Amino acid sequence: MALFAVFQTSFLLALLSLRAYQSEVLVEPLPLTPESLNVSIDSAHQYLNLQWSVHSLAYYQELKMLFQIQISRMKTSNVIWVGNYSTVVKRDPVLHWSWKSELPLECATHFVRMRSRVDDAKIPEPRFWSNWSSWKEADAQKSLGRDPLFLFPKDKLVEEGSNVTICYMSRNQQDNISCYLEGQQIHGEQLDSNVSAFKLNKVSFIRKTGTNIFCKVDQKDVIKGIVLFVSKVLEEPKDFSCETQDFKTLTCTWDPGTDTSLPKRSSQSYTLFESFSGKKILCEHKNSCNWQVDSDSQEMYNFTLVAENALGNRSVSVLFSLTHRVHPKTPYNLFLKNVSGTKATVTWKVHPIGNYSTLLCQLDLLGEGNVIQQHNVSIKENGEYLLSELEPDTEYMARVRCADANHFWKWSGSISQKFITAEAAPSEALDVWRNVKSVSGRPTVTLFWKPLSKLHANGKILSYNVTVENLDRLSGLEVHSVPATANGTELTLDQDSYQIHVTALNSAGPSPASVIVVSGDPGNEEVEEERVNGTEDGFSVSWKPQSGKAIGYVVEWCDHPQDLPCDLQWKNLSSNTTSTVISSGAFRPGVRYNFRIYEISTERMAYLLEKKAGYLKELAPSDNPQVVVSNLTSHSFTLSWKDYSTDSQPGFIQGYYVYLRSKAEKECHPGFKKATLPDKSACCQHRIDNPEQKTFVMENLQPESVYEFLVTPYTSAGSGPLDAFTKVTTPDEYSHILIRIILPMIVCVLLIMITCYLKSQWMKEKCYPDIPDPYKSNVLSLIKSKENPHLTIMNVSDCVPDAIEVIHKPEGSKIQFLGASKSLTETEFTKPAYLYLLPAEKNYSGPGPCICFENLTYNEAAADSGSCGHFPVTPEALPGQPGPLTSPENLLKALEKNYMNSLGETAAGEASLNYVSQLASQMSGDKDSLPANPPEPVLCSEYKMQMAIPLGLASPPPAENSGLSSTTPLDQSEHYR
Amino acid sequence: MLACLCTVLWHLPAVPALNRTGDPGPGPSIQKTYDLTRYLEHQLRSLAGTYLNYLGPPFNEPDFNPPRLGAETLPRATVNLDVWRSLNDKLRLTQNYEAYSHLLCYLRGLNRQAATAELRRSLAHFCTSLQGLLGSIAGVMAALGYPLPQPLPGTEPTWAPGPAHSDFLQKMDDFWLLKELQTWLWRSAKDFNRLKKKMQTPAAAVTLHLEAHGF
Repeated sequence: MALFAVFQTSFLLALLSLRAYQSEVLVEPLPLTPESLNVSIDSAHQYLNLQWSVHSLAYYQELKMLFQIQISRMKTSNVIWVGNYSTVVKRDPVLHWSWKSELPLECATHFVRMRSRVDDAKIPEPRFWSNWSSWKEADAQKSLGRDPLFLFPKDKLVEEGSNVTICYMSRNQQDNISCYLEGQQIHGEQLDSNVSAFKLNKVSFIRKTGTNIFCKVDQKDVIKGIVLFVSKVLEEPKDFSCETQDFKTLTCTWDPGTDTSLPKRSSQSYTLFESFSGKKILCEHKNSCNWQVDSDSQEMYNFTLVAENALGNRSVSVLFSLTHRVHPKTPYNLFLKNVSGTKATVTWKVHPIGNYSTLLCQLDLLGEGNVIQQHNVSIKENGEYLLSELEPDTEYMARVRCADANHFWKWSGSISQKFITAEAAPSEALDVWRNVKSVSGRPTVTLFWKPLSKLHANGKILSYNVTVENLDRLSGLEVHSVPATANGTELTLDQDSYQIHVTALNSAGPSPASVIVVSGDPGNEEVEEERVNGTEDGFSVSWKPQSGKAIGYVVEWCDHPQDLPCDLQWKNLSSNTTSTVISSGAFRPGVRYNFRIYEISTERMAYLLEKKAGYLKELAPSDNPQVVVSNLTSHSFTLSWKDYSTDSQPGFIQGYYVYLRSKAEKECHPGFKKATLPDKSACCQHRIDNPEQKTFVMENLQPESVYEFLVTPYTSAGSGPLDAFTKVTTPDEYSHILIRIILPMIVCVLLIMITCYLKSQWMKEKCYPDIPDPYKSNVLSLIKSKENPHLTIMNVSDCVPDAIEVIHKPEGSKIQFLGASKSLTETEFTKPAYLYLLPAEKNYSGPGPCICFENLTYNEAAADSGSCGHFPVTPEALPGQPGPLTSPENLLKALEKNYMNSLGETAAGEASLNYVSQLASQMSGDKDSLPANPPEPVLCSEYKMQMAIPLGLASPPPAENSGLSSTTPLDQSEHYR
Repeated sequence: MLACLCTVLWHLPAVPALNRTGDPGPGPSIQKTYDLTRYLEHQLRSLAGTYLNYLGPPFNEPDFNPPRLGAETLPRATVNLDVWRSLNDKLRLTQNYEAYSHLLCYLRGLNRQAATAELRRSLAHFCTSLQGLLGSIAGVMAALGYPLPQPLPGTEPTWAPGPAHSDFLQKMDDFWLLKELQTWLWRSAKDFNRLKKKMQTPAAAVTLHLEAHGF
C-alpha cells in the first residue's frame, strides 16, 4: 500500500512538473537563436551565401520565423546593410539566404550576423528577438594570391543601363595606381588604404568585345584589366501571333527585337508554353516556332512566349481559338479559258481546310495595274468565275486570294495570271479632215485622219480603206488601201464632187465609215481675216453661223506654221457650237497662227466660214527691214522697205518708227519728235501708223550733211532693235550740174585718147615719122617751087660705106644700160668693133660729103659718146651662140658672113641680116672707145641710118629700101634694148 | 688558266641552253621568300589595325605596351644582335619555320574566336598567306639540304584560353600575337635579305665548282 502511495505521489509530482514545464514553454519566448551560421562567397555572381540552422523546434512541426541580418564591411562596426528574412522553419532545418553585393566581395572583408524571432500566429505575443549570433567573416582576399594588384569583378556581364562598381586592391600601399576606362583615366573612391572603388552608372553598349578597364602600377610593369560585357536590353517579343494553314500545325511568329548575343555568350532563347495542355517547347528560330496540333479536341490555346538570356527574361502571351486563326495556303492552278473580246472565264483551285470549311476567295481583275473589277466567290476546292464587260484586245490580269469564310483572319497569298482579250472591229469612225489644193490645175485632196485610240481601235489596225465616189457622174467606186502606219493620203481628182469614205481595218473587221465630201471648186476663199487674241489656255475662237444648216464646224490650224509640212490640226465641233478654245502644246509665243473655220453642210461638204489669225503672245520684232535709199538729193532722200513681210513677224506689225539723227541739225524736222536711244544718244523719231506704208521721204535736209537713219517696225510688244543706223550724206547743191558737164567731157577725152591710141601708128607716120622722108617734106617742095627747081636730094646709094660698126650688147647688161650710161664704156663687149669694108688708107677719099642721119633711139649711150651707134645683132648668135661672139675671131667670122649676106643676099631681096649698119663717124666722141688702129676720120658727112623693122616686115618695100646701103631687120627684142 | 675557266663558268648561267637544264639554286626561292615577308608585313599592318580596333582601347592605342603576361608561349622574335649575327643558315631558317608554324596555329585560333564575318575573312586570308610563307621557307630549307624541324608529339601549340584566363588577358594575348607576328616578319625580312646576299657569292662559287666538275 505504501509502495502504491509512493508511486502515486511520484507520478503526481512528475505530472505536476510536466505541466509546470509545459506552461513555462508556452508562456516564455522561444530562444531560437540561429546557430551554425556559415558565410560563403560566390565571386562570379558576387553573392554572400548564408547558411544556418535553428535548434530544436520542440513541439511544433513548423513555425514561421523572422530573421534579422546585419552585414558589415571592413569591420563589424561598419554595418552597411540590415534586413529581415521571413520564412517558415521546419523541424531541424538548415536555412539558406543570399545577399548580392554591389562592391566586388574580393575587395573587402564582410561580416554577417543575425538574430531571429518567432513570427507565427500560433505563438501568442509578446514575441522577442533572440540574441545576435556571433559575427561571421567573409574574406575572399585570402585566396587571391600574392599579385601586387587586383581588379574586380572579373569579366562581368551586365545589361545596358545598369550600374556597376569596380574596385582594385593593391598589396603595396606605396604604389601609385592609375585606372583607365576605354583609354580614359578614371578616379574612384578610396575604401581603404589599398582599396579603391569606381562606380559606373548606366553603362552603355560600346562593342561586342566588351568595355576594357585596366589599372596599372606607375613605374612598374604591372597591369591588370577586366572586360565589362554590356549586353543590349532584352526586349519583349513583339507582334506575337499564331495561325494554322491546315489545322495540323500552328505557326507562331514574333519580332525578336534586338539581338543580345555577345562573343562566347549566346543570344536570347525563346520558349513556347501552352497553358491548357501544359506543353512547352524550345523554339529553334529566333522569330518563329511550330506547334503541332495533336487532335481536334483542343479548340482554345493560351500560348506564352518567353525570351531569356543570361541576364533575365521577357514574356508575352496570346489566347485564341484555333478556328479563328486560319490562314489558307495560296490558291493554285489559276487559268483563263474561253477568252473572247469582252468575256473570259477564270478557274482556280485551293487547298482544302478541314472537312467543313468554306473559303471566301477574292477575284480581282486588273488593267494597267489598277483594279477594275472585284468579285467574291465562296468555294470549297475549285473556283470558277465568268468575267464580263471586258474591252477587246486589252491586257488584263486576274488575281485570286482566299480567306476562311467563317472567321476571317488573313488573306492567303495571291496567285495571278495575265491574259489578253480577243480583237473586235473598231468601234468608232475615224476623225477625218481634208485639205484641197490645186496642183497643175487639178484639185488635189489631201486626207488626214487621227489614229483611233486604243479604246476604239479594239485591236491592231492593219490598214485604212479610202473609197472615192463621184457624185456628179456615174462611175465606179475607187478604193485605195492605205498602210496602217500612214495617217493620211493624197488623191488627185477633177472638178467634180466626190464623196470619200474612210474606214480603219483590224483583224476583226472595219470601223464605221467616216464620210467627207470634197469638190474641185474650193468655194469662197476670199474671207477677211480677223484677229484673235491668245491666252494662256489657248486661242478663243468664235464664229457666226451662216446657213443655219450646218451639221457641224471644223476649226483648222497648223501647229508649226513656219515649217513644211506645217502639221495640220483640226477640231470637230457640233452644229450648235459657235465658239471654242483651241489649245495645243505646240503653241509658242511670237508665232502667228492662222485659224480657218469651216462649216460642214448637210452634204458633208466643208465651206470656209471665217479666218482668224493671232499670237499666243506677241513679241517685239527681232529684225529691222532692209531699207533702200533712193532719190538722194541735197535736200531729201527716200527710204523704201517694200520687201518687208508683215505676216511673218513675231507680232502684228502696227507701224514703223523712222529714226533720224544728224550732227549738223539739233532740231527735229516737222513730223519728227525727239527720242532718246538706249545708248542715251538723242535722235528724231517719226512714227508711221500704217503697217503697209513701206516708203518714207526724208525732206528738208541740209546739203553736204551726214544723216543717220533707222527704220524699225513695232508691235504691241515693242519695237525692233535700235542698233544699226545707216549713214547718208547729202550732196551739195551744184554737184549735179558739175556731174552733167564733167562727165561728158571725161567721156569725150577718153574717146579721143582711145582713138589716138588705136591710130597711133598712122599718127606717127603722119606727124612724126622716125625717119622723115625728104621727098615728102613740104620744105623741099617749097624750095623746089620757089628757089631752085633743080635742087635734088642726095641719094644714099651715092655714099659708099667703108666700114660696119658692130656693137654687141649682152643681155645681162640690160639693166646697166638702162641704169647708167657709164657702164657702156666700162663693158668690154660694148666697145664697138669696126669691120672695115674698104681699105683703110690714110689718103682715102670718099665720094664726097654725105649727110648723116643719126637716130639716137637705139643707143643712147652711143649718142652720148658722140659717135653713131653700131649694133651688130645676129639672131642666130644672140641667144644660141653667146660664146663665139665673145671672141674676136668668131665675131669677125660672123660679121664677115653677115656682111657677105648683106652684100649678096640682101640685094636679092632677102633679109637674113637683121641689123642695120652704117658708117660711123670717128670724128667726135670718146677716143677711148676707139680701136687701137682707128680708121682715118672721114671728112665727109657719114650717112648713118638706123631703122627698126619688125620681123614680119623683113622685106621692106623696094622703093623705100632702094636708098639704103644695107638694111637688116632687127629682132624685136633687140629693138627694145 | 684558272681565271679563264672561272670567267667561262661565271657566264654559264647566262647561256640559255645550259641554264634551262641547270639548277638555279636557292637564290630565287630566297628572293621569293623575302618578297613574301614584305608582302605579309604590308598585309598585317591593315589586319592588325582592324583587329586592334575590334579589341578596343587601350589595345588600339599606338603607345600601348603591356607586359607579356600570358603570351609566354609565343615564339620570341627579338634576339640579341650578336646572337642573330652568329646564327648559321640552318638555325636561322629553322627558327623562322618553327616560329611561323606556331604563329599560324595561334592565328587560326584567333580566327575561330572572331565575332565578325569580315574579320574572319581577313584573318583567313592572312592565314593562307602565312601558310604560303611557311611553304616557301620549307622550300628554301629543302634547296639548301636542311631537314624540316619535326614537332614534338603533344606540344602542338594551342590558343585556347584556360579556365582562369580572363577576357582581358585573352585580349592581351591577341595583342601580343599580332605584335610578335609583326616583329617576326621584320626579322624574317632581315634574315632572308642576309641569306640572299650571302647566297649570291658562295652560290656562284658552288656553281663554279659543280660546273667545273662537269667539265
